[in-house]
Amino acid sequence: MKNKKLILILAAVIILVGIASTVYVRMSKTDFAQITVNGEAYTIEQLFGIAEARTIEADSGIALDDLMIQTGIEDPGGHEYTLIGADGYQKTVQWENMRNGLLTMERESVFSDLPKAFRVKDIVEIKVE
Amino acid sequence: MEKRKLFTGILVFGSLWGFSEIIIGSMLRDARLPAGAILTGVFAFGLMLMSRILFKTRGMQMGMGLVAGALRLFMPFSDCTICSGIAIMAEGVIFEVLWHTLSRGFEENESLINKSSLGIVMSYGVYVTGYMITQILTPVVASAGFHLKDLLPFIPQILSSGLLAAALGGVMSPLAFSLKSVDVTRVKNRLYYPAAIGISALCWWVVIAKTY
Repeated sequence: MKNKKLILILAAVIILVGIASTVYVRMSKTDFAQITVNGEAYTIEQLFGIAEARTIEADSGIALDDLMIQTGIEDPGGHEYTLIGADGYQKTVQWENMRNGLLTMERESVFSDLPKAFRVKDIVEIKVE
Repeated sequence: MEKRKLFTGILVFGSLWGFSEIIIGSMLRDARLPAGAILTGVFAFGLMLMSRILFKTRGMQMGMGLVAGALRLFMPFSDCTICSGIAIMAEGVIFEVLWHTLSRGFEENESLINKSSLGIVMSYGVYVTGYMITQILTPVVASAGFHLKDLLPFIPQILSSGLLAAALGGVMSPLAFSLKSVDVTRVKNRLYYPAAIGISALCWWVVIAKTY
């Protein structure tokens, strides 16, 4: 009997948590008119104008390592890079991964040496740490 | 329950689960539907609960997770194959823990709301924990490494997407409980084994044929 009451309460809590997080996720979705790279805001077109092109299988875009160099990151090999999506999804990668990565016009990251889980969609920020 | 019959049950239900993760999962992703939540709510949780009700044997769902995870490892061109395989196996363990904790005192004539609530809690638990395990394992296996700061801001998204898995679990649970009157031990061997092995073989063949 005690167990059944607990299950009913847990189910109600789960539904409330699910609804609350859905509302939170929708409200906190970032506007992605620009991409912030190391604190500086750029449009995707601006980024495509400064970094060299790269293709990985069927995906093409700009090279992430060159993008970091062109945006003035000093000692790029000594940092970690966090790619943050509009929905809060983020992945931190190393310089070695950036050398095998690209940013597409659709603002998605693609890495030839990392699993698909590292494809961050609708990127709004690239943090250099 | 005859051990041979139980192992065959693990094989057939695990194969169906693995098949759904790979073949149906790929169709759902192509249709841009929330594949993870649908797969967990309908197939992973639904099949584990059905098998638990039919076979009434502890540990069976862990075995199913091993079979489904092994089948997933045959799919090398998807995300992080090892991580997905391990996450599926982990889902089997999570189901066992949740079932052991929550199903005590549950009876055949339980009300619909109780059966649905159990489904909501278990399906959500399996989905959210499985998702987090994948988020931790994938970077660990990849060269980038796991960073807790990557997982924490994404937790609201995981909790939110689990709502669909919970709702589907709430529907699947009463359906699975309706199988309570079916007695697997009474199914004739000459029908049970060929059917179970045939279904399992078909699942493996389709996955392997699609992959290679």
